[in-house]
Amino acid sequence: MTVPQPDWLDPTPWIAAAQRATPEAAAGALRATTPAEREFAVLISPAAAGQLEAMAQRAQALTRRHFGRTISLYTPLYLSNYCSGGCTYCGFASDRKAPRKRLSFEEVETECRAIKALGVDEILLLTGERTPEADLSYLLRCVKIAARSFHKVTVEVFPMPTDEYRALVDAGCTGLTLYQETYDPELYAKLHRWGPKQDYPARLDAPERALSAGFRFIGIGALLGLGDPLYDMIALYQHATHLQRRHWRAGVSVSFPRIQPEVGGFKPGVVVTDHQLVQFILAFRICLPTVPLVLSTREPAKLRDGMAGIGVNKMSVASKTTVGGYSEDDDASATEQFEVSDTRSTEAFCQSLRAHGLEPVFKNWDSVYRAETRDAQ
Amino acid sequence: MSTELRIGDQCLPSRLIMGTGKFADTATMIRSVEASGTGLVTVALRRFNRELVEDDLYGPLSELKTVQLMPNTSGAMDAKEAVRAALLSREISGSPFLKLEIHPNPHHLLPDPIETYEAARILVKEGFLVMPYVPADPVLCKRLEDIGCASVMPLGAPIGTGKGLTTQEMLRIIIRDSSIPVIVDAGLRSPAEAAAAMELGCDAVLVNSAVAAAEAPERMAEAFAMGVEAGRMAWEAGLMPTSEAAIASSPLTSFLAGRNE
Repeated sequence: MTVPQPDWLDPTPWIAAAQRATPEAAAGALRATTPAEREFAVLISPAAAGQLEAMAQRAQALTRRHFGRTISLYTPLYLSNYCSGGCTYCGFASDRKAPRKRLSFEEVETECRAIKALGVDEILLLTGERTPEADLSYLLRCVKIAARSFHKVTVEVFPMPTDEYRALVDAGCTGLTLYQETYDPELYAKLHRWGPKQDYPARLDAPERALSAGFRFIGIGALLGLGDPLYDMIALYQHATHLQRRHWRAGVSVSFPRIQPEVGGFKPGVVVTDHQLVQFILAFRICLPTVPLVLSTREPAKLRDGMAGIGVNKMSVASKTTVGGYSEDDDASATEQFEVSDTRSTEAFCQSLRAHGLEPVFKNWDSVYRAETRDAQ
Repeated sequence: MSTELRIGDQCLPSRLIMGTGKFADTATMIRSVEASGTGLVTVALRRFNRELVEDDLYGPLSELKTVQLMPNTSGAMDAKEAVRAALLSREISGSPFLKLEIHPNPHHLLPDPIETYEAARILVKEGFLVMPYVPADPVLCKRLEDIGCASVMPLGAPIGTGKGLTTQEMLRIIIRDSSIPVIVDAGLRSPAEAAAAMELGCDAVLVNSAVAAAEAPERMAEAFAMGVEAGRMAWEAGLMPTSEAAIASSPLTSFLAGRNE
């Protein structure tokens, strides 16, 4: 089954360019005044692997210029692990025997209070694909509860039509994170065995529907380890620049989730090494200097500390990928969506940032810029 | 010493205005503000944090005796949001100053002239000393002056780029035509550029990234203070005119010598 791709999405010519690239071309790309797609393809190529230190130097200067010596923090809250999806790589897929849980509204309040007590002022609410247990009306109530405690509420949830996104904005939601997982339509079809997530175009267009509905910030990403990383990184670059052109007010950020071992025993299709991951992040920073780049607690402490302020300027902290889990002691039996590598407390993580000359920023938004505030006046 | 800067009914001891974002920690920011000798700092409402002291930029700045605070509306996408943010900032800070920033694109952070004009109209009536961050557009600057803004703050280059006075030709026109203070905001990288802006006849400059991203922010703040002071003194002293060519020793108008003037 072939899915027709939109005009703006075609990584193939640039993959060829990346494969042809030489170390000299890589050095040239690194010197370019305004590096763009052409330079990006060269900088993520194996030919640029020897330029990692020089790339890091340029990336750090750009990160410092545009984001200063600061790292913005957010914390995820898994609301529900009910899921109608059949993703082969996910511990919450509907055929997995994982115990299912959904937070009650009282529990959402308790969890919000516990996260708020960490000091973090940006919360990311997550669900699986749409189910009767975690549908739009459930999510709307959760957003409203979170919006009472947090200036910035964002979601990472199932794709939905524009009017539903608008309801989320009206409830106090400011940002949407949605990863395409892989931009390769054939691989996408194989990995997503059933459920609404099989609809590749509906997922690909979702960020634009959200922006039309009034979302301010969009986070995109590809799950590294599923397919050819050159394909996915170039497609991701094209997606980011497409969103910036089409929605000129949108804040677009890029995340670099890398697949971790999970309960179902899924083996990554390809191994993306630490060196490659770092090279990809640096290439994004160099070619898209004003786009926030995000690295979550999926990655180990050493890698996160190393990339903070070099290419990355936004990070999750104190994450739990079980449903709930902030307000009570660790429940060893609870199923995680994936394993958190960086398990440091907020305090320990911030201490490490400060030791690297970086300021953790807990609040970087204000509810005064929210749609619900707009309605209230 | 150069003459003092007046904005509306307020006198300021320095012609350097400081931004407060992007620093490695609050202590460095505060020391840099002090080293700069500034009397006016801007702080984003979105960085006011009344719930977590260590994350709050407003609290520590409000304790400084020598500086006044100028809240800014960074984050506002349109006039309505900026007005709401301005009113809330004044409620918290009590400051008469407002740095009006409406840059709906969070990537290049360039100001939206249409929304900025609309918000300025409302905020002047609300009694603020409105200081709008604007593109270096001479007509827009006059329109903002006409509706009662306390100053205009045209950009030298996009925020954070450090590209310097890329808008110099437009700045010359703005300065020549303006009856309110002209403050170059954004794009400066070096004290020499700050001095150059002052030599053009700007009334003040606002700097943030250039200090926060420097290797030694406090030293750089002090260096900017010196650059601003030198540039202003030079402007007040009157720069020697430049000349494209040498003055000829046999002037073409020598035949007029001795005749009735």
